Amino acid sequence: MPSWHQGAAGKESRRPHEQPVIALAGNPNVGKSTIFNRLTGLHVATAYYPGTTVEVAVGTARLDGRRATVVDLPGSYGLGAPSEDQLAARRALLEARPDVVIVILDACNLARNLYLALELLDLGLPVVVALNLLDEAGRAGIQTNVKRLSELLGVPVMPTVAHRGQGVRALLAAALRQAEAPRSRSGPSPNYGAQLEAWTSGPLAALEATEHQWAPEGLSARGLVLLLLEGDEEVRDLARGSAEGQDVLRHVLALEEEWGRLLAQPPALVIAGARHGLASAIAARCQRRMPLGRRLRERLWKYATATTTGIPIALAVLAGLFAFLYYVGGFLSGQFDRLWGATASPALDTVTRFLLPGQAADVLLWGIDAGINASLAVGIPYVLTFYFLLAVLEDTGYLNAVAFLSDSLMRRLGLQGRALVPLIAGAGCNVPAVIGTRVLSSRRERFIASTLMVLTPCSARTAVIMGSAARFIGLAPAVAILGVAALLAGGTGFALNKLLPGRPGELIMEVFPPRRPPLRTVLVKTWVRFKDFVVRATPIVIVGSLVMGVLYETGAIWRLTSPLSPLVEGWLGLPPVAGLALVFAVLRKELALQFLVALALVEYGGHVDNLRLFMDSRQIFVFALVTTIYFPCLATAAILGRELGWRSAAAIMALSIGLALLVGGAANQVLLRV
Amino acid sequence: MTTPAVEEYLAVAFRLQEEGDAVTVAALTQRLALSHASVSLMVKRLVQEGLLERGEGDLRLTADGEQRAAEVVRRHRLAERFLFDVLGLAWDDVHDEAGRWEHVLSPAVEERLDGVTGHPDSCPHGHPIPGRVSTVPVELHALSSLQAGERAVVVQVRREETTLLRYLASLGLLPGARVLVEQVAPFGGPLLVRLGSARYALGRDIAGRILVRKGAR
Repeated sequence: MPSWHQGAAGKESRRPHEQPVIALAGNPNVGKSTIFNRLTGLHVATAYYPGTTVEVAVGTARLDGRRATVVDLPGSYGLGAPSEDQLAARRALLEARPDVVIVILDACNLARNLYLALELLDLGLPVVVALNLLDEAGRAGIQTNVKRLSELLGVPVMPTVAHRGQGVRALLAAALRQAEAPRSRSGPSPNYGAQLEAWTSGPLAALEATEHQWAPEGLSARGLVLLLLEGDEEVRDLARGSAEGQDVLRHVLALEEEWGRLLAQPPALVIAGARHGLASAIAARCQRRMPLGRRLRERLWKYATATTTGIPIALAVLAGLFAFLYYVGGFLSGQFDRLWGATASPALDTVTRFLLPGQAADVLLWGIDAGINASLAVGIPYVLTFYFLLAVLEDTGYLNAVAFLSDSLMRRLGLQGRALVPLIAGAGCNVPAVIGTRVLSSRRERFIASTLMVLTPCSARTAVIMGSAARFIGLAPAVAILGVAALLAGGTGFALNKLLPGRPGELIMEVFPPRRPPLRTVLVKTWVRFKDFVVRATPIVIVGSLVMGVLYETGAIWRLTSPLSPLVEGWLGLPPVAGLALVFAVLRKELALQFLVALALVEYGGHVDNLRLFMDSRQIFVFALVTTIYFPCLATAAILGRELGWRSAAAIMALSIGLALLVGGAANQVLLRV
Repeated sequence: MTTPAVEEYLAVAFRLQEEGDAVTVAALTQRLALSHASVSLMVKRLVQEGLLERGEGDLRLTADGEQRAAEVVRRHRLAERFLFDVLGLAWDDVHDEAGRWEHVLSPAVEERLDGVTGHPDSCPHGHPIPGRVSTVPVELHALSSLQAGERAVVVQVRREETTLLRYLASLGLLPGARVLVEQVAPFGGPLLVRLGSARYALGRDIAGRILVRKGAR
């Protein structure tokens, strides 16, 4: 299943792109996304590169009237290892066929970062280096001679401090210059010493003697030989497909055999060793380190990862987050509601009633007045607050420490520590979180992680819990609902780990040092995600509210609720209209409450605080609990189907609905008896 | 007095024996890239000096020859270690460079090299460094058995799985890498391992497949 862009089937000539294509490559956490956002502005948050199998963010960069397409490759440490992240980065790279690759290096850890740069140079791609995080390196006592690095690598090196935007324009200019320069087939290639070069000359000569039609386009002959030697199965498969390729492969295998004898190491390691050797040598030649005392954040870091202090810290952070969400979200919710009620609501009412006859005006007001008011009171304040917290957590690097500490617990749930980051992202929105499970190593883990995510309240569901249970019956019941959800997720993970064949994969994860999150980056991230949420949510909320309005004004709503009544009224003990709200909420989870609130507004007038007029504490609790657990939302179902297949998606959905009915009903029965 | 040329022959013979190959004039000719005639001549001389002896169709180092060869190979591999570890020369340059050093190092310098590189057991390419008198077998530990605060040098990664091997390689977890175990997570959790300025969380299973030698050097 070779997924190289060009196979043996047919070689189209290299089509010039309409505008230059710049690929961004780099290790994880080197500021790649920050540079991407700086280069492209906020015009494109996430898009998918057309025609590729790998989803990557794509944007347009502008400089003095020139435009370039920028492709953000997944962060990875290398391109060679057949692990998910490295394969994804490599496929995206080859499918985008960039005119230039900007490789972003972390000045604090230059030697390791250079490995990827050397790999890209080995493949014969035109490269511009962005030496990022220079401010942090400076604070850590590391000085870098940028000019020397450029000389040693043979490519332009641009110093940047991306989060402040320093050097980004110059970087873009350098990349465009490189992209527009005539392509020479022999760019600077790293020199791993006479011996390795001599060894590889055999297969290289064999390869260069032919047209190598079988090979993927855009790679240098040297790059191909190294890939073959490294045992790259994709390229080897391509080589096996033609007589020419088989000939080259014979040379490669002979060399592999010789190395095994002489060096007692497989070629992949020999080459990796050579690359690391060169990378360390280059880093040593252009960097100086001044010893600094043990710094505050190093100490903080130690506390965050040590068992005795780390676990209490993690619990305290969790409690703090929840309290922040409760108080700040609640405050915003109250303010938005008051503001809307005082200004927009009466104005809309007057205008609409002036323009339209009675019942039509009522229906329209459902959509634009009650619908938007409900969004402002329920969805937006809590979602906004949550996204802000998530951005802070991500950008401090604290999640890493928690992933490290929680690995043994996660393994019991069939996952590994790495899964914690997508799981927490799932508490924001399930959709990107399900995509984020791609970092996990097996299908089994992806299935388990996705199931647990569906059971983890996303920000919309947290908004429902906050806006109903916390607001009308108190904080303790809200915490209880989250507790029940956590127990369910934990129990499900434990059970799935026992039931499904296989075991969780092993953890290998870089653990980043804590950083002070740059405010701008945090705000930008919050805004981009929030905007995405509002843009997607608002039309559905308004249309949904309008439909609800029609149903209500015509009285159809009461007829529709009757088939659900045994389940909703009998088993869950909810008012019939709540059942309808639950059905509507499959579109978007926060609709569950928004419909009820809108209904309360229309039915009883006045403030949102009227939920209590038709539901008691027990009903609000059961309603929030059921909303939290059952069916995440249509978007999540769709993404699950796409990522895991429809059977898995259906199984997860059925499980969540079943659990919700079971737990909700049980809660109702218990509370009735208390 | 042993000349560099003699040392070169002895070292090549030593490596051939080490690899389990027969020491023959043909093999020596190939390795040394010299003419058959000059190799035959030198072999004759080495036999006369009692450094090589003729066996059934092949040659063998005598006890004396083997000891002298081991000294040369030891100097060569120690020099490689030093050039790679301390001077940061590229992995691949060190062989040629050490080829010159092996003939000129005095015993005192050799001993210092041994100390500076932390009494290594193998060259950067993974070949054992012959000991002067007797080699103390080095104890290998699984990385997973280390306590927080312990330092170690990666000696070998058990290579059942190429995927894992190549991934670790891209992170720099290769033979010779110096690591410090910073934390060990509770309940059989992962290890937090520092390598250069990076930290990696490694699950116990993976850490169990990485064999290390304890100590800072």
